[in-house]
Amino acid sequence: MTLRATAAIGLVASAIAIAGCGGSSSGSSSAEAIPKLNTAEKVTINYWVPFTGSELGLVRKVVTGFEKANPNVKVNVVGNINDEKIIAAAHSGNVPDAALSFTADNTAVFCKDGTFLNLGPTISREGIDVNNFPPSQRAYTEYKGNRCVLPAMADTYGLYYNKAMFAKAGITAPPKTISELTEDAKKLTVRSGNGFSVVGYTPYIGFYENSAAHYGPTFGAKWQTSEGKSAIASEPGWTELAEWDKHLVDYYGSNALVRFQAGAGEEFSGSNAFMTGKLAMNIDGEWRTALIKSEAPKLQYGTAPLPAADGKSELYGGGYTTGNITGIPKGAKHPAAAWKLISYLATNTQAEVELANDLGNVPTWIPAREQVQRTASPQFQTFLSVFHNPHTTTTPVVPSGEASQKTFENYLEKYQTGNGGELKKGLEGVASQINALEAQATGGGVP
Amino acid sequence: MSAAVAADTRARARTRAQWRRRRTVALLMAPWAIGFSVFFAYPLLASFYYSFTHYDLLSPPTWLGLANYEYLFKTDPQLWTAVKNTLWLIAVMVPAQVLFAMGVALLLSRARRGAGALRTIFYLPALAPIVAATLGFAYLFNPANGPVNTILSWFGIEGPLWLNGASTAKPTLVLLGLWSVGNLLIIFLAAVLDVPTTLLESAELDGAGAFRRFFHVTLPSISPVLLFAIVIGVIDALQYFTQAYVAAGVAQGGQAGESAKALGYPEGATLFYPIYLYEQAFGRFNMGYASAMTVVMLIVALALTGLILRNSRRWVYYQGETR
Amino acid sequence: MAATATAPSVARPRSIRSRQTRRSLLMSIAEHSLLIVLVVCFLAPFVFILLTAMMTNHQALSSDLWPSPFVPSNFVKVFEEAPIASYALNSFTYASLATVGLLLSSIPAAYALAVLKWRGRGVVMVCVLVAMMLPEQVTIIPVYVLFSKLHLVGSVAPLIIPNWFGDAFSIFLLRQFFLTIPSEYGDAARVDGCGELRVLTSVYLRLAKPAIAAVALFSFFYCWNDFFGPLIYTSENPANWTLSIGLSQFRALHQVEWNLTMAATLLFMAPVMAVFFAAQKVFIEGVTLTGVKG
Repeated sequence: MTLRATAAIGLVASAIAIAGCGGSSSGSSSAEAIPKLNTAEKVTINYWVPFTGSELGLVRKVVTGFEKANPNVKVNVVGNINDEKIIAAAHSGNVPDAALSFTADNTAVFCKDGTFLNLGPTISREGIDVNNFPPSQRAYTEYKGNRCVLPAMADTYGLYYNKAMFAKAGITAPPKTISELTEDAKKLTVRSGNGFSVVGYTPYIGFYENSAAHYGPTFGAKWQTSEGKSAIASEPGWTELAEWDKHLVDYYGSNALVRFQAGAGEEFSGSNAFMTGKLAMNIDGEWRTALIKSEAPKLQYGTAPLPAADGKSELYGGGYTTGNITGIPKGAKHPAAAWKLISYLATNTQAEVELANDLGNVPTWIPAREQVQRTASPQFQTFLSVFHNPHTTTTPVVPSGEASQKTFENYLEKYQTGNGGELKKGLEGVASQINALEAQATGGGVP
Repeated sequence: MSAAVAADTRARARTRAQWRRRRTVALLMAPWAIGFSVFFAYPLLASFYYSFTHYDLLSPPTWLGLANYEYLFKTDPQLWTAVKNTLWLIAVMVPAQVLFAMGVALLLSRARRGAGALRTIFYLPALAPIVAATLGFAYLFNPANGPVNTILSWFGIEGPLWLNGASTAKPTLVLLGLWSVGNLLIIFLAAVLDVPTTLLESAELDGAGAFRRFFHVTLPSISPVLLFAIVIGVIDALQYFTQAYVAAGVAQGGQAGESAKALGYPEGATLFYPIYLYEQAFGRFNMGYASAMTVVMLIVALALTGLILRNSRRWVYYQGETR
Repeated sequence: MAATATAPSVARPRSIRSRQTRRSLLMSIAEHSLLIVLVVCFLAPFVFILLTAMMTNHQALSSDLWPSPFVPSNFVKVFEEAPIASYALNSFTYASLATVGLLLSSIPAAYALAVLKWRGRGVVMVCVLVAMMLPEQVTIIPVYVLFSKLHLVGSVAPLIIPNWFGDAFSIFLLRQFFLTIPSEYGDAARVDGCGELRVLTSVYLRLAKPAIAAVALFSFFYCWNDFFGPLIYTSENPANWTLSIGLSQFRALHQVEWNLTMAATLLFMAPVMAVFFAAQKVFIEGVTLTGVKG
């Protein structure tokens, strides 16, 4: 009897505890401006960033500039944080004062339940003109009118090519269409035994920067129909992407290609396949120019916009852009100081220039563009022009975060190795799955 | 003192003793009781409740009725991949580990010299922390540069893709499971050595060959241990997580730029049920849906172990029984 | 068949005898070869990991098997690259506090279940068995929610606390062992006037030392090696990472320096192996205990 009593008490007690704390107070974001910073008070804030290694050091350097401008604020920059950790922290209440993410995929996740504070009122109070951010950047920093993050450095993607190999193969100019890319890739490939000593170009979704999102703009493929449903099956661009991908993977032989990729060296290490001459051409972001400068300075390389799909040559010159987003989680202990930090990184021209030059990223603050352009290397100039090209777009902000993209890529990964069945059916399946995912993410079950 | 009063005193003393005993038991069992209620019974009930809601920890749960279950059984594309992968594990990994452990135990039981050293050698990998063992294995089985494929190439064999191939990833995980079979091995070894030698000798005298001796003497004798191994194997297969998580991450490479996890790499081959559950619960914070997944897992686990235990009465011989 | 006691040396034709010895010789060779192959397969991974741990990064990425040059300083470099000491401290804190709590809460329960007679004992035993047999993930979500509301997520506390309230497997094991202790010992102490608690502490604890040692050892290493628990509760807070999380993140942090990762792997394995060699008997006996009594 005493046993059962204890058990019952335990159950009831915990039930009361849970019910009592049931849900954090008001999920809706109160549209209030963040209070102004009390400059007389000493504070230390935590800033979570995804940078590691040398990049982390560079970010800390720029943050020191912020500390000099705000003497009573100390910033503790913590690296190697990814979106999952930020979301987990937000759910468990153990949040930093500010955080930065490498992708804008989770903007909706951050904004929709007030996970990150709504910055709109503060932006208007401080008189920041959001038109100083390019349209794509404005698009991926807000969800349903709630801007809960600021853009801080952006990425654009283009084609890197090894000039020495081009010369040896007699290729005079980088490819502008997908067919030319395929042709050049085959010309530049050097087989060795059962494998390759050089692969011309690998489109293998999942390897390095190959992803559906990065190819979307140059294949002219949209993610959503005008009604907001998934356009994976209806947009011909996605079919073209899948077919081109499979064609090239089959050319190499998928097993041989996977083997090559397994030994290719980590993307962000000094043994990156393009930097070590194992890959003749590669899709990559603008940050690679900085990495090549520091880790493979002797590499003779050129950059160009990504080739456009055949028949869509007007898209050439554009590409995909996304960027870092930075915001203040709900429950941050020092939101005023945090706001000072993120607005400094996002809108202070000098900070933007420094970050752009050090990290080799594209500045999102338009006034900073001119300064960066003056000192940018020719290879980096490509990315600046891609960034400001009218055909450059980004992925739509959706409540399921990156899950939709992952769903599509899971299928592409199967299709490219021959395990995807019939393409049309596969794409339709993906589209309906994505629609169901979005419905689930907005609090429903099945549409 | 009259007999009635004496009896009454004795009765009261007995009751006092009973109360004292009950208090002692309550004291001894209290920590467990609290633990069981809070960390076992309550979560089971709460999971059941959450499975009917949408809950992401930020706002209170909202009632969804059966929507989560509908999504789970009808729409979710990755769920059946996860179920199939875990079932594959139960069908392949469990027999493989049990048979291998039993086989090696039989082999070791016949070794005369160095039995202790051999036992240590075979037990060592089981000691290694799972993360360490998996990392090591992932490196060894790298299809491009790993030692395994390098050595195979000396013999002119082109090694398979191991953890990077959709059809070879799970078998490679089984190899990892065989390497770590030390605990089962020790238990089987003890059981085999425990087989009454008198029975074996009389069987041999009756003319039974090695095989018949095994099937009719050894096997029944170790059948309780066999049952234990199977049940433990099935439970481990149902909660298989760490190896798949680490191996997929290593095999895909450190694409640290995107936060997209490599879960299930390659092509969903390593997406086991607990991995997918982890993604739903702690990747996407769909706590309601993930709870529905745990309810299903609970039912399957109970059904499977119940089935095995019921079926076991037919083939397990406990010591001292006669059949 | 008539059980005639035939003198074995009589009348087995030489051809049959030599055939039998040849067969047993072949069997013996086959067995020994198999054993050798298995031993090689079981030990080879350790050897390769050790060799890779002493290579330069460049060589570790190639298909070379033998390090040249030897870089044993990798084992020291690992400490510089990542806060291994901090990870180890977190692992140790978790494992030791959890084990202490586990023993304090499980031994009394096992005693009550094995030795004392009371109503409901059978029901509780069934509860313990059921708790043992369910996958760990079935209870994880509400427990996580609970710890999240208590603001304990991000530390190792959620990993330690449940162990202070009994562990089904340990209770089961200890109970099985207590059952094998003859009741005479306890009765003698009771006759002398000891209450049940004294009987437990002065009689049973002493007699059950091997089982308790085994349970303690198992618990410690289960926690030391635990990945899933720390992944869920500490991954957002690098200061509280345990060795298992730290090791899995090592590559992400350092972009595959395989040589250092292998060195770190060995360092992670080393304490377990060392304790094993020191306490082999306890380990083996304990493992046997679980299987035989299970």
